[in-house]
Amino acid sequence: MKISYFETGRYIPPPGLPREWPVPPAAYDPATGTAGLQGMADRVRFVEELGFDWVSLSEHHYSPRILTPNPIVAAAWLAPQLRRIKIALLGPLVPVNNPIRIAEELAMLDTLAPGRMVFGLLRGTTNEYLSYDLNPGESRARTDEGMELILRAWAEPQPFSWQGRYFQYRTVSIWPHLQDPPPPTYILGTSAEAGDFAARHRLGLGLSYGNFDGMAKATQHYRAQCAEWGWQPGPDSIVYRVNMILGETDDAADAALARRDKQAPFAVRAGLRDALQQADTTRNVAGQRYAAHVGGHVLPIGFCGGPDRVVEQIRRCRDVVGAGVLDISLADPGTGDTDAMMQALDLFGRKVLPRVRDI
Amino acid sequence: MTFREDFVEADGFRIRYLEVGSGPMLIHLHGAGGLRLSRAYDLLAERYRVIAFEMPGFGNSPENTRSTTSPEMAATMAAAVSALGIETFNLWGTSLGAKIALWLAIQAPERVTALVLAAPAAIRPTDAKGPPSGSPEQMARLLYAHPDRMPPLTAPDPAVAAQTRRLVMQLAGPNRDAALEVRMRELETPALAVFGTHDRVIPPELGRCYKQLLPNGYLAFLYDTAHRLDAERPEAFVEIVGDFLARHDAFVIRRTESLILP
Repeated sequence: MKISYFETGRYIPPPGLPREWPVPPAAYDPATGTAGLQGMADRVRFVEELGFDWVSLSEHHYSPRILTPNPIVAAAWLAPQLRRIKIALLGPLVPVNNPIRIAEELAMLDTLAPGRMVFGLLRGTTNEYLSYDLNPGESRARTDEGMELILRAWAEPQPFSWQGRYFQYRTVSIWPHLQDPPPPTYILGTSAEAGDFAARHRLGLGLSYGNFDGMAKATQHYRAQCAEWGWQPGPDSIVYRVNMILGETDDAADAALARRDKQAPFAVRAGLRDALQQADTTRNVAGQRYAAHVGGHVLPIGFCGGPDRVVEQIRRCRDVVGAGVLDISLADPGTGDTDAMMQALDLFGRKVLPRVRDI
Repeated sequence: MTFREDFVEADGFRIRYLEVGSGPMLIHLHGAGGLRLSRAYDLLAERYRVIAFEMPGFGNSPENTRSTTSPEMAATMAAAVSALGIETFNLWGTSLGAKIALWLAIQAPERVTALVLAAPAAIRPTDAKGPPSGSPEQMARLLYAHPDRMPPLTAPDPAVAAQTRRLVMQLAGPNRDAALEVRMRELETPALAVFGTHDRVIPPELGRCYKQLLPNGYLAFLYDTAHRLDAERPEAFVEIVGDFLARHDAFVIRRTESLILP
């Protein structure tokens, strides 16, 4: 099992910060923002020393919860400050961005730090579409087409035109190009469409936050589609982002779970939440529909316990979900105590990481 | 649009064609499956005088044992265009018809204003076994990215299919035709090769060969279409093809406005 640390920028909100998304920029404190973002380097160097395999970054907008509206910028800043750990972009939001720009910037990162990058292409949760004014009902189709275009831009050795539904370019010819071999690349999502796409292009699949049984349905669908396309994914082909509470003991972890803030950080208001859910009706796990996530909800805790119990949970995760890369958060993004998170990371590195390598 | 059906005598053949629209001349040569119209013809006919030939030996025409190579068929079709009194024209070839269109442009470059190669079969995978065949359902899954969105295909008459298959095997030639590729390097005609991103008959990765070989060649991908790309997304096909035929090199310059509100 490979282990990844999800770095979120760690803007520690002062008391009284507005909790509704979008959070007014007037509430932003530059010193806190600088500390949060520049602190990325210290935190990632710390987990690199602990032996973590990846650090992951994601794109989120208009709140301090995850302070990386452009994870590519964060990766470019981090790369020269790290030695070994891979930097996983999980990922840029495909439907709200210019796919050619994503293809170019990721290729640029791969050129600046050869062999150090992992790429994920993400549709994103429904509230993210408000940031760049995207019709949620078009997000599925824009994502599929954008991903296809990014892969084509990376693959083609000759200039070409793209005649799409949502994207149209008469001249595409990106420089720099990817290294050979290219970075591991994942399609992020639990939907049947994500699994189908990843299988068709022989790419990995990235999951996040769902329970083991739901995620197992997604990975079973993905594996079946891979078989249809004549290949078998390896252990590293499935990455699973999870929240974890790790304590010195099971009791300590359970107590921390009981103390966890039950209020959703930076939620959209109820009327908007309902409207977003009505506007995005294509969400599914392996074809089974569910209501769209609209951000700001309390993310489930997938793993909780002392080191022994967490090791067993990771073992079960491997058996049930089939994930070979676990991307962990040891504190809720945008909340909590960074020192406590660092202590938990240290505990994970000492007491858990050595025991999950063979899983 | 109403198509006018007629025949023209050329090179000893009586050749059927369909004509529609008005404007600059656009000649079409079909693929191995014969002449199958799509909405793309109607849309192109709004700007062009479109003549879609049924090449001798295809459809209900008598068996053609004389055209044994693509260059021979190209010469026959050039004669058919001449017999209609047309000197210069735009030329659109689909799949196998694209190979014949390439030969026609090589043989008579002064006559062809611009060339459109749709899912062209002039260059095929080195292990390709010949034109695909199967039940209508199997063919639909092969020819369309989304067969569920398309009208069902009908099975061809077995005798016609056998006759056509023999002709297609002859016209197709080798998967990599060295004689053609040498001549493609010298062809100055503006050319656009259009590939469906989901084409499983002619992989879109072969598109780069046309861009490499044709001095004035362009490559375009028509997203979410397979081999019968003009039938699956006719508006998208016609938008880029029409623009290329009208503007050649300048078709890469965007002219649609992005202004949202004044």
